[in-house]
Amino acid sequence: MKQLSKGVVQLALWLLLPACSFAQGLVDGFMRGQDKASFALTYSQEAYDTYYAGTTEVRNPNLGTITTQSINLYATYGLAYDIDVIVAAPYIRTESSAGYWQKQEGLQDLSAALRWEAYDWKFDGVTVSWLFSIGYTLPLQKYVIDAPVAIGHGSRNLDGRTLLHIKAGAFFLTGQYGYIRRGAVDLDRVVNYYVPDQVNPNIGTKVNVPDVTDLIIRSGFSTKHFYVDGWVQKQTPYSKGTDIGPAIPYPTNAIGFTRAGANLYIPLIKTFGLTGGYSTTLSGRNIGKATRLSGGFVVGL
Amino acid sequence: MKKYSWFLLTAGLLFWTVGCKEPVIDEPIPTFYAPATTDPEGGNWRPILFQSVADVCVSQPEPVTSDAYKTELIDVQNGAFALNVEQIDAVNYWAAGGVLRWNQIARQLIAKYNVTPGYNDATGQTVPFDPNKPIVGFPAAARILALLSVAQYDALVAAWHAKYLYNRPSLARQGVTPRLPVADLPSYPSEDAAVAEVSCQVLALLFPDETNWLIARAGEHKQSRIWGGANVPSDIKAGDEIAHSIAQRVITYVQNDGIQTLPDVNNAWEELRRSASYDVKWVSLAIPARPPILPQFGTGNMWFSQSDDFRKAPAPPATTSPAFQSALAEVRTIADNRSRDEWRIANLWADGVGTYTPAGHWNLITEDLIRQDRQNELRAARTLALLNRALQDGALASWFTKYQYFVPRPSQLDPTIKAATEIPNYPSYVSEIATMSGTASTVLGYLFPSQAARINEMAAEAAVSQLYGGTQYRFDSVEGIKIGQNIGQAAVNWAKADGAK
Repeated sequence: MKQLSKGVVQLALWLLLPACSFAQGLVDGFMRGQDKASFALTYSQEAYDTYYAGTTEVRNPNLGTITTQSINLYATYGLAYDIDVIVAAPYIRTESSAGYWQKQEGLQDLSAALRWEAYDWKFDGVTVSWLFSIGYTLPLQKYVIDAPVAIGHGSRNLDGRTLLHIKAGAFFLTGQYGYIRRGAVDLDRVVNYYVPDQVNPNIGTKVNVPDVTDLIIRSGFSTKHFYVDGWVQKQTPYSKGTDIGPAIPYPTNAIGFTRAGANLYIPLIKTFGLTGGYSTTLSGRNIGKATRLSGGFVVGL
Repeated sequence: MKKYSWFLLTAGLLFWTVGCKEPVIDEPIPTFYAPATTDPEGGNWRPILFQSVADVCVSQPEPVTSDAYKTELIDVQNGAFALNVEQIDAVNYWAAGGVLRWNQIARQLIAKYNVTPGYNDATGQTVPFDPNKPIVGFPAAARILALLSVAQYDALVAAWHAKYLYNRPSLARQGVTPRLPVADLPSYPSEDAAVAEVSCQVLALLFPDETNWLIARAGEHKQSRIWGGANVPSDIKAGDEIAHSIAQRVITYVQNDGIQTLPDVNNAWEELRRSASYDVKWVSLAIPARPPILPQFGTGNMWFSQSDDFRKAPAPPATTSPAFQSALAEVRTIADNRSRDEWRIANLWADGVGTYTPAGHWNLITEDLIRQDRQNELRAARTLALLNRALQDGALASWFTKYQYFVPRPSQLDPTIKAATEIPNYPSYVSEIATMSGTASTVLGYLFPSQAARINEMAAEAAVSQLYGGTQYRFDSVEGIKIGQNIGQAAVNWAKADGAK
């Protein structure tokens, strides 16, 4: 049971990752165990016809509905009883229903993280563990980043976070807080738009992608026969960043959101099971007000 | 615990970087240069809006032996020791060159005001049109840069004329060590004051809402020369005098150049479209449909020729012709198989709404060339005045042809053609980007012969860029370049006869 729940929760967490902002929520509170591995292959679909320009909700008739499909590969492996490595990569396709933007499709970013269970305390059937994680994200190809229809931001990110994981019988509660440092990206064009506080307009093509802080609260039940959770995620831009605007590069927009969702996992035979998830956007900044459905299977080894 | 100390170390380093919030852009430190030449005969170069700059009055300066001048000089010498951080920043900022700095400021303002009237480009929403809010329609950007450069150039020819007429020695020759590289020129009148004041007045005329900000920038520019030990206040005052005369002439020119830069709120363009001769006519592909940008712009005065032949392109092939069908098929093929590099090229040269436009892009390129050549203020102004007048004529010519034929964008005829940029909301033929590339490369190739090959490469890439982007046909580019090169050649002929070597 325990083994199942570990792989499953990681997978379930992975499912709710929005296709276009990758690094958050890669890790959860369940350790994998030494020399144990799990793989997950999932499909997800996310769509929005409303987005936040700054924090204002708008519908753009020249874009219509933007639909993003992705196939996600996810793997974890226990290097030691208290150290896991987690790797993920999606293939993404995104397109708009109106207007003339070319659809975008391809491998997005490779993410990898190391998770360390630093401490755990047990009392009266309650386990409390304190974990740390560092992760790195790297674009797998030079995909288009500066367009309303794009599969990602193209930045190299460093992700550091800490998790507090509480388990009592089948019930669990995990809180995590992290900081994602996003590297600079090269635009296809020189900076040719108005930057109010700019001193020297001849600065070439390089712009900074705003860093974010990431808070996730997740709770649910993990038993032999099923796993279910509900979660809320709040991502907040740390650097100033820009708001969606004419000629403003998409990668420099300050992106934030509050999302909520749920996941379910049902084991079928031995270590093989099916999973599904749903999430919706409650509020946001410079991001689509997206609803996401996903499903897939997971194998534990 | 110990074996994972690397873990804590890495995490610690990560969070250490959190301490500083990064800006959107990390700006590089500008480089200064001492000009390569002083061009003592520059006062005899041919001005643009004047028959002769001898008409521009500059009062006789006090001799350097006078008490008034000696006091000024001592004040500057003493003041240079007491600068605060802001003042040193200002000295360094303007030391990068007044002509180039004001050109950058103009580009920033163009980008700021380059929006679509009555429409929010970020969200696709229609918004109420505010007639009091100035808008830089796309081709009008070229005119703004041309007017600024012409004013700077004429002011500097007048300044050079007065400098060598009165020959007040530079401060460096009188024992003052300037804080920045200064050309070894007579100091009276200050070329920086002339540039600052005339640029401020011209830009305030074109961007009335920015007047206070511009006045503050010009004030800082002039003061920076005193702080930096390059000029005394009477040099500055004489520069101002020149600027006032020149600005008056520019204002008169603007009022009479016949160029319509106000949005077409009464939809006069619909009558133009009705009378256009093409078989299938352009419609806006934006949702909701919007009027095209500045339909009457193309009929105004040009700088290098008033002949209508100068702005005319041959009739485009009819949509039913095999030539057109194969052109459309080519756009389709490129759009269906667009490479990442084609996407990059399309985006590099699109310079659409919200940017400083292709004219601004060529100014950016020219700025680098001017720095490489270490051109002095007068020569830099001449370079930009030649380039920007030619670019304005190029913009005008392409706009004239666009609204003569109203050729549709490829996606209007074949909606499966998807684009790598926003589809510009005006007719396709001829490509304004190709026209301005032909113009710019001809002018710059003449002014910077050692860079001609590289410039031509850039221009050729720019000209086909929007074919790669899926918003233009190859014949748009081919004919655009031809018109552009023709206009560029007229500018080169002017340059050959303006007295500068």
